[in-house]
Amino acid sequence: MTNRVAIGLLILMACISSRALAHHSFAAEFDATKAIRLTGTLTKVEWTNPHTYFYLDVKDDKGEVVQWACESGAPGALSRRGFKRSLLKLGDTLIVDGYRAKNGANLMDARRVTLPDGQILSGASAGDGGPQ
Amino acid sequence: MTGRCKRGLAAAVVITGLTLCAGGAASLAQERPMVLDETTVPKGRPAPRTSSGKPDLSGYWKGTRQTRPGGNIGKDLPGWKLPLTPAGEAALKHNLTATIDPESLCIIGGIPRHNASGLPFEIVQGANKVVFMYWYSYFRLVPFTAGLKHSDDPDPSFFGEEIGRWEGDTLVIDSIGFKDEKVWIDENANPHSDALHVVERWTRPDYSHIHVDTLIEDPKFYTRSFTYARTWVLGEPDEQVQEYSCSENNVDAAHLGFGPGPIRPDGTRGYVDPAPLPPPVPRTEPARK
Repeated sequence: MTNRVAIGLLILMACISSRALAHHSFAAEFDATKAIRLTGTLTKVEWTNPHTYFYLDVKDDKGEVVQWACESGAPGALSRRGFKRSLLKLGDTLIVDGYRAKNGANLMDARRVTLPDGQILSGASAGDGGPQ
Repeated sequence: MTGRCKRGLAAAVVITGLTLCAGGAASLAQERPMVLDETTVPKGRPAPRTSSGKPDLSGYWKGTRQTRPGGNIGKDLPGWKLPLTPAGEAALKHNLTATIDPESLCIIGGIPRHNASGLPFEIVQGANKVVFMYWYSYFRLVPFTAGLKHSDDPDPSFFGEEIGRWEGDTLVIDSIGFKDEKVWIDENANPHSDALHVVERWTRPDYSHIHVDTLIEDPKFYTRSFTYARTWVLGEPDEQVQEYSCSENNVDAAHLGFGPGPIRPDGTRGYVDPAPLPPPVPRTEPARK
């Protein structure tokens, strides 16, 4: 492992040190073998417990728009790490990286959210046993 | 992995780390980790006492990174192997294959599960009772008036019928009368029956630490009693349990499978070898419509 990788990992660990409200096991809902990236238009935000949800209109392989739900940590947990409700603006294009629901629904665990200005936010419910 | 790939990975990791830190610089100053490194917490300052002379257990208590494996009630057993009876084995199988985590359905976790949780909790101690307040807006009130005895036939509940008493500087909580449906004894879906008997012995060895020694008996599901011990450390004075309405928007309930999912060799829940996320989008290439 190079020094740069080691330093980077340390920075990541320091930045994602807070364990959030693990309402349920990651593995009970999501498939860690199915990492995906969605790019879509933000259409709705539910800043709610036990999880926040935001919804994207995403073009599928056929060019048709489908709605995806992106699940994140509880509002309090996100807020404490700087992921504020006010950062999500309807109509914005977001890039969301995470894992698909095991049941095949258009639902993903939003571990990493990239805002239009390039800012990257951690949406993970850390402490749920999911990938960090 | 080629040298080019390694360099790319290194750059991606560093960019991600720096971006996360830079992007949240203002807020990170406010960040309050919910789990602390116990080695960084000072020791030796005497525990506060109430006007009655007993230790005051009040405070906002956080778990430590030294508590491993988290969420596993078998933490202190060799190989984390619980002494299950055949009925206990069947109950575990049922929990793993036919039940959704009760907490994810907004059902109270109860004791001893809350003591194995990764979440902080808060204690407020009064003259004759103590309240434990948990994230998820659950609480339990434990009376410790002298001479209390268990009921002959207590109504089953998630925390059980809890009777407190002081033995010197130790608050002993003796609990019976538990539910046997929609209960997991820990995060890993281990079972308990309505025969569960829990004895918690709470101490505050110094100002910054609180400790519990727990005796767990359940002759229906476990061949012998076993113990679970744990130490938490004090949070900041302005920290407290926050509002949390579990059933406000429990969308995920319809998508949850049975059981906690795989249990890793280290005794925690989760996948061993998850697929990596796509590399972060460099900040120099922002996402635009």
